[in-house]
Amino acid sequence: MSMFLEAIDIRKSFGTEKVLHNMNLRLAEHEMLSILGRSGSGKTTLLKILAGLELPDGGRVLLEGKDMGRVPPNRRDMVYLYQEPLLFPHLNVFENVAFGLRLRRVPEQDIRKRVQEMLDNLELPEQSRKMPQQLSGGQRQRVAFGRALIINPKVLLLDEPFGALDAETRASMQQLLKRIAEDFSITALFVTHALKEALLMGDRIGLMQEGKLKVYDNKKAFIDDADTGVQAELAFWRGIG
Amino acid sequence: MQKTSTYIGLGLFLALTAIPLLLGIGYALLFSLGLTGILSEGFTLEHWRAVLRSAAFWESIVFSAYVALVSIGMAVSLALFVVVRRPHTFEKGPLSFFIYLPLALPAIVMAFFIFQMMSKAGFLSRLAFQLGLTRSLGHFPDWVNGQYGIGIITAHFLMALPFFLILYTQMYRHEGMRALMQQAYTLGATRRQAAWRVAAPALFRRSFATVVLYLLFVMGSYEIPLLLGSQSRQMVSVLTIQKLQRFNLDDIPQAYTISVLYSMAVIVLALSSLPAYKWSGRKLFNRSRTVLKE
Repeated sequence: MSMFLEAIDIRKSFGTEKVLHNMNLRLAEHEMLSILGRSGSGKTTLLKILAGLELPDGGRVLLEGKDMGRVPPNRRDMVYLYQEPLLFPHLNVFENVAFGLRLRRVPEQDIRKRVQEMLDNLELPEQSRKMPQQLSGGQRQRVAFGRALIINPKVLLLDEPFGALDAETRASMQQLLKRIAEDFSITALFVTHALKEALLMGDRIGLMQEGKLKVYDNKKAFIDDADTGVQAELAFWRGIG
Repeated sequence: MQKTSTYIGLGLFLALTAIPLLLGIGYALLFSLGLTGILSEGFTLEHWRAVLRSAAFWESIVFSAYVALVSIGMAVSLALFVVVRRPHTFEKGPLSFFIYLPLALPAIVMAFFIFQMMSKAGFLSRLAFQLGLTRSLGHFPDWVNGQYGIGIITAHFLMALPFFLILYTQMYRHEGMRALMQQAYTLGATRRQAAWRVAAPALFRRSFATVVLYLLFVMGSYEIPLLLGSQSRQMVSVLTIQKLQRFNLDDIPQAYTISVLYSMAVIVLALSSLPAYKWSGRKLFNRSRTVLKE
């Protein structure tokens, strides 16, 4: 049976360095898969290949069974979100969120209604006329989510989206993303190098190691695997206690 | 410690740039009001009235603004076009070196070059004649010394273009434009939409204060309009120098009046570009408002 999103035998090298080795991934609709991995393990490369921003050396990406090989990034319906919110600096909050709708020539009245609803949903109703540099890190990341969610993408590719936030903002953003993931029935890949965040955000969890992805059947299997680092973490905290 | 060094820097900046400038403007103001100078006979507003009623003065202001807007408008537009379409053209290879060479060219050399290329006896005129496009060299259009300032605009355009190409190339690299454009692609933008809806406006916004300052620089330029300008329509700097160096000593206070008026206009425009500096996403001061950030 074909899954909603599949990556089959993906290979990618940069020069002599092999980043992804025949990597496979299967993602069901409305599922959020956390991918845990160290820096340089190939997480970002994987997301960029799925988004069409990097070309793989080999392998295939299927979305709803359709080969994405020749589909450009703007037609994949997969939004890639960076660690930095990357708001367009010349547009205010409203126009940033409305960006995708304007590309799709949605009528002005609908744009106003949908953007306002989205800003309300993201607890940003008062910020619509502000410029990106007038917002806090957390607010900027919310706007980036709003800009992505408003076009209702098939898949969200989240590349350590909370990596640049302080601990408190990070925790509140994790809660917010959990809520909107449920409200919008999001299908997403959530890449992180933080163990706790991977456990918290994913319906399932995968571990990226040496260019390969290992996806666990359940959280217990993830916790029990010594490679994930959970056992070492637990031992550390027990040691302190 | 950082505060002290900032204040020392600010003091040095004022001492070396602002104070001599203000002293010069002050002297010009006194001269224009008849309070100093060889022929001064005490306070008078006569020179100010004469300048403000003079059609030549207003025409020179409008002509200077026209030349600056057209030449810099074209240079900025073309530089943005090239950089958003081919952002890496001037990053590597021989072009990355040669693009800096025109910046080292003195304005007077560029003016001579344009004169030799575009005047009625110049290269393009001779080429047009040889190709049978004109009946004689005299039939070639007045691109140099003509009333539309085509020669002046071309010279300023050719000098400004490499500057803005370098500026936008550097900004493209350092302001994360590639990532912004990739973000736009995954939101549904084509390459053209990402270039024109994201990269170009973002770069222009970021450079806006620089563009305004360059406009002011071109408005006040001297050598190029002196060599390539017409007798009837002069840029403000040429008009000022002509009045200052005429045999009629009564014109000298008018020259100072024009220079004071022009300086005031430039200062107002420069100050009005401060909000633009903020609008471009930059900060003059950090939160404590003591340290110059950029």
